[in-house]
Formats: sequence, C-alpha cells, structure tokens
Amino acid sequence: MDQAAQQIALTPKDFKSALKPVWCPGCGDFAVLNAITKALAFMGLPREEVALISGIGCSSRIAAYTSVYGFHGVHGRALALASGLKAARGDLTVLVAGGDGDGLSIGGNHFIHACRRNMDMTYIIMDNEVYGMTKGQASPTTAPDWADSKLTPHGTGIRPFQPAGLALTAGASFIARGFTGDPNGLAKILVAAIGHKGFSFVQALSPCPTFRPEQMLWKHHVKAFDQEISSNPVEAAQRIQADDGMSTGIIYQNERPVFRPGTGVDNGMGSIESEFTI
Amino acid sequence: MSLAEKISDLDTFLTYSVVLEEEAADRHDELADMMEVHNNPEVAATFRKLAHYSRLHAREIRDRSSGRSLRVIAPWDFEWEGMEGPETGDISDVNYLMSTGHALKIAMGNEQRAHDFYFEISKGSPDPAVRALAAEFAEEEKEHLELLEKWLEKHPESDEDMRWDPDPAHMPE
Repeated sequence: MDQAAQQIALTPKDFKSALKPVWCPGCGDFAVLNAITKALAFMGLPREEVALISGIGCSSRIAAYTSVYGFHGVHGRALALASGLKAARGDLTVLVAGGDGDGLSIGGNHFIHACRRNMDMTYIIMDNEVYGMTKGQASPTTAPDWADSKLTPHGTGIRPFQPAGLALTAGASFIARGFTGDPNGLAKILVAAIGHKGFSFVQALSPCPTFRPEQMLWKHHVKAFDQEISSNPVEAAQRIQADDGMSTGIIYQNERPVFRPGTGVDNGMGSIESEFTI
Repeated sequence: MSLAEKISDLDTFLTYSVVLEEEAADRHDELADMMEVHNNPEVAATFRKLAHYSRLHAREIRDRSSGRSLRVIAPWDFEWEGMEGPETGDISDVNYLMSTGHALKIAMGNEQRAHDFYFEISKGSPDPAVRALAAEFAEEEKEHLELLEKWLEKHPESDEDMRWDPDPAHMPE
C-alpha cells in the first residue's frame, strides 16, 4: 500500500483512546498527542503493532490517551521497560514518552545507556523545564535562575542539561527537537524518527501554562534550524552548542549498528554453560 | 509565489477547505473536552457548539466535492500561513478559567483568519472557478464572524476575569 492509501486507511482519531486528557487547558502535551497520532496515521501502522511506554509525570499519562498498546510505567524507568519490550518483541514499533524530570533526572541513567545501546525505538521527552505533577519544582532542564519554586527560592544555581547534547554524547543515532506550537512540524519529525533504524530521540518543547506560564511566549522565539541534517557528530555538537535551545528540526542522524539481544559480543557463557550439559 | 497562486485547481482548493474546516472542528472538540474535564461546562458547551458548526461546514464542502478527487496531502505539507490551519484555534490560548466571551473571541480570530484565507484565494488563484468558490466561502466566513459578534455582545467579560484565580495552583507548603 502506498503512503497516500495508508493515510486514508487510518485517521489520527483512530489512534486516540476514548479517555479525555486531564492535562491543564493550554498544555503543550495535547499537541504531542496530536503529533503522535498524526504521525502514526500517516505511516499507516497497525495499532496492534505499536506500543507506547511512559514513565511518571503529567506527560507520561499520554500512553492512556492513545489506542495503541501502552504501559504507564515506573518513574524514570520507561526506557528500561521499553528496552525489555523491544528485546522480547522486536517486531513492534516502540515509542517511549515522558517528561524532562522523568527522563533526565530519575531516568537519566537509563537515557544515556539507551542512547549508546541504540535499540530501535523512539524516545520523546516532553520538555517543559519543570516537574508539573508535583506542583512546580525545578527539573534538570530548568534555568539556574528560575526562582518561582518554594524549594529553590533563589534558583537552583545549577547548569541545566542540554538534552540534545547529552543524547549526542551518549551515542543516540537520531536527534531532533520539535515544538508543540507546531504539531504538524512535530509530526513530520516523528515520522522520520520512527522510520529511523536505531535509537531516535526527540525533544519536544512543551510549554507548561500552569507552573511556567512565561513559556507561552516560546511561540515567538522558536525557529527552524537553518542547516541540513548532519551525520557528523562534531558538526552536530557545534550546532547544539551554538543554539539557544529554541531551534527545531532534525539535528543529527547517522547509521550505527542496532542492538538486538544476541547480537552483542559473545561473553563466553555459551561454552561455559555447555560444560554443565549432561 | 503566494499560496493563492499555487491553488490553481478546484480539487486542491477543496482539499484545503475540507481540511481547514475538519481541523477546526477537531480543535473545537478538543478545547471542549479540556473544559469539560476542568469543570467549565459553559465554555465546554460553547466550544462544542462551535465544533458542530465547523463540522456542518466541512460536510457541506465534502458534499460539494462529491465526485471529485480530493488530494492526499501530509499535514505538514499544507502551506498554511501559520503553523496550523487558519481556523484552528491555538491550544496555548485557552485557560481553565476562561469564560464564554473569551472562547468567542478565540473563535472570532479563527473565523477572521479563515475569511482572509479564502479572500486571498478569491483574488489570487489563477483558476476562475476556484476564485468564485473561494469568494463564496469568504462571504460565509464573514457571516459567521457577524454572528459571533452578536453572540459576544451577550458576554462582555474582560480579559482580567480570566487572570483571577481564587484557588491558584502552587507548590504545597
């Protein structure tokens, strides 16, 4: 079936569940849901061949709002769950979603190892630079001088992570940034990310209207990267460092061996175990 | 080349029109859902009504497209002036404390942009049939705008109303 026919076969609504999201009105996460459903509909993927795994947090509720298989997991462990699923069911298209706190703090270790392992899955961090579900604390992507939380009344004073830079250093083979104010542009990025063979990372700038209302102005600052996709990590690193974090598009894409269980280096266990055979 | 100049056949124009209206209807429904979940039934009902009207308009355009071959265009390949269709309200413009008046102002902005979209095509498309139909749709959008203006007269809330939250969300002590 060609892509045009597939698009007719399934609509974005077919990929939404009957549950109404409880996100705050105005939340960018609605647009991530729209972008995912548009991307899946465009790709014509059968719902039973897609799984969406999430962690804990406002954004991680997204798994319940789609009609594909889903698992609303443990805080920070979405990538661990997803890796297990992909190892067991390599035929599934595995999407992973969560927030900046879930993915870069509690789940930070899983994130860097998922990047270097390069299993074939797509990870979307819905980045609003705040812990929203617990009512507004600084996250690993919060600016050091953000002082609106009672826990950090003078700001954290700590340099925030650059998610794209972290992913590049850790070995992700596809890195992109999208913006929820442009759900169609984000959907296009997701189509490329899902189609990529290996670990694809998408940072979705997703404003929080409740705890970071100033982010509602992001729509005036976001712009498209003015360079082509790079396959050169040095070039990509320079691009990420030179950017203010508000540029969108695919930053880096490269082909690297995709990890599948059994494709790693032989650890010699086979020969040892064979000694036990009677 | 402007979008109006690029829309040079009826099938492309109808495709844009159907998607414009259906996306607007979906967004209005989405906004209605948000308000229902956040216990703002009055505004939810307003958005639901607006979704109904957008859907009626979309159906009318689909009926007029009967027997024609609408194009299949990826969502990101539509050359809208903004990031979404002109009649699609911006999710970031809503708030759970908003009133019917605020909702109607958003709807009026949507209708105005839809009118401008059709009006530009009615002036700039190289195809006379497209220009004629676009002029008709622009006129319809203008009528919708006038109806919304009358509806809004019954809801004179100020923007300040939306900013006052008797129970603001903040970190517990």
